[in-house]
Amino acid sequence: MVATRFIGWLRRYEKWFGITAAVLIAVGLYTALVTSSADYYQGEVVRIMYVHVPFVQTAMFSYFTLFICSIWYLWKREAVVDNACHAAAGLSLFFTAGGLITGSIWGKPTWNAWWVWDPRLTSFAILFLTLIGYLMLRTFLDDKEKGATFCAILAIIGFIDLPIIHFSVEWWRSLHQPLSVSTRGISIASDMMIPLTLMSVGVSILFAYMLMVRTQMLYLEHLLEAKQGRLLSEGAL
Amino acid sequence: MHFFSVVRWIAWKDLLSEYRNRENISSMFFFALNVILIFSFSFSLDPDTLKEIMPGIIWVAFGFTAIIGLGKSFLIEVNNDCMEYFQCLPVPKGAIYLGKFLGNLLFMLTVEVVLFPLFVLFFNLEILDQFLPLLLISTVATIGLSALGTLFSALTVQIRAREVMFPILLLPLSVPIFIGAVEATRGALSGDPFSMYRHWIELLGVFDVIFVVVSFWIFEFILDY
Amino acid sequence: MNRFYIRWGVLMVVFGVIGFLGLARYNREVRTISPEVLLGQKTDSEVRVMGMIEAATLEGGVDGAPFRFSLSKAGTKVPVVFSGDDADILRELKTIVAIGRWQAEKGEFQAAEIALTPNYGFIASAYLLSLVPLVFFLFYMERRVAMLYVMIKEEKVYQAEV
Repeated sequence: MVATRFIGWLRRYEKWFGITAAVLIAVGLYTALVTSSADYYQGEVVRIMYVHVPFVQTAMFSYFTLFICSIWYLWKREAVVDNACHAAAGLSLFFTAGGLITGSIWGKPTWNAWWVWDPRLTSFAILFLTLIGYLMLRTFLDDKEKGATFCAILAIIGFIDLPIIHFSVEWWRSLHQPLSVSTRGISIASDMMIPLTLMSVGVSILFAYMLMVRTQMLYLEHLLEAKQGRLLSEGAL
Repeated sequence: MHFFSVVRWIAWKDLLSEYRNRENISSMFFFALNVILIFSFSFSLDPDTLKEIMPGIIWVAFGFTAIIGLGKSFLIEVNNDCMEYFQCLPVPKGAIYLGKFLGNLLFMLTVEVVLFPLFVLFFNLEILDQFLPLLLISTVATIGLSALGTLFSALTVQIRAREVMFPILLLPLSVPIFIGAVEATRGALSGDPFSMYRHWIELLGVFDVIFVVVSFWIFEFILDY
Repeated sequence: MNRFYIRWGVLMVVFGVIGFLGLARYNREVRTISPEVLLGQKTDSEVRVMGMIEAATLEGGVDGAPFRFSLSKAGTKVPVVFSGDDADILRELKTIVAIGRWQAEKGEFQAAEIALTPNYGFIASAYLLSLVPLVFFLFYMERRVAMLYVMIKEEKVYQAEV
């Protein structure tokens, strides 16, 4: 009964998240592409920031959500929370891939290379591999409950490992070459701040909306599967 | 049964069965030997380049050995239907983890201790005066590797495609171990003073503490799903 | 399902309009012409010319004197006068964009502003590669959920199952 109430709640409130995200992203894209000015050093190419930074932030946010949902699952053992974990992992993989692709495109004109072993890029690549491992683990498990537990364990271990990975990669890079050009040093003008904030908040809310939709999708798929299996076995009997 | 006696007996059981059939250690050892051989063919081995790539070769060989050895750690328990007995033990399940972890750690260290002289022999290394730091680095890195490896072995042994999934899960998460071990070994082999690579050993130590504790706590859920 | 498609249609129109405005801004403020086209058209409206500053032609800039250099691309050269103070962008053999008007009587290009070379290809590909998959992903998910609710409704044992 908890699951039906939860799914009903998701279905009722998802549209407000969807509408807010659509409005924020629409205004954000308008200001990012049309009204904001170009950067003095980087020129027009700085506009990639307005899509890259929100994607990266949302990827980290969604991995944090996965961590919280995994702990929640180990605590309460609700199947619908496992669906939320699965949904968060898929979305995290999507946003991580988006962040890596846009980062790589931004890197070409600014660093003159598609890929550098920058600490942030390297940690993100490792996060990407961990998430692929997580989703592969899900496909290889037959027992649903066991699978959910194992995936939750993997997500928790991965989340604890992530700061250590980032820290060790940062040390390793600073040993071999000075850190690459960072955007942190460049102060951000206010007319750049507006689209960046709008896009960041918009994509985060969009993530919440996508998480709600995807959790429903996975829950309903399992429900339908169970139902069809039940009908089949009843028919066979 | 007392907590520590469970730890001791599980480690003892692994060591005893290993002593009787020598399956695990010999396969790890000969696999690592093959890796060394392939590396010596794959790289041009002039002394300067060798110094640069040697720590990498050592730790790639040890890492692959860990995958071969640790991946099978829980397979024997599943094959002999021992997982159910583990679930029945009236102690925190972390005791089983610690016992298995100690057994794996000893296997890995044995293989590493036998392999190091071979590295010295094949690649003309001079490590005698750096023996103690190297031993420390290997121990600290191997603790981290077996802590994660034992946990993931218990996890992947119960699923399909376990041979593929074990390295796929283990390798990305053990990146800090490899970075730390390779950099510290590089420092030791090039004869730097200990203080110059001590921070890498500290990093490995922090990793060890975190993952032994977290795995010990989380192992409960692997047996009690 | 009809409301679902209408909603997505409205969304696509909104984002299409933003894309069109972005493109219009690109044509107005970013698009450049080459020196050859500039010499060919002879208009006196404000244009943006992209080219490389020829070696050993950059002079001026001391005591408020205007910069003079010749901008070239594919063999065609245009003499440019610029009276601002963007000295760190102006370097010989660097490709820049000069914004200003062509003065036919003097036979030189009066630049009001100097800008970096635009790299809109990167921006367009970054936006397309991140937002287009996002839209497809979301569309597929929403459509699947809508269809699943219909399918679940058609299965008869809904109450008993939950």
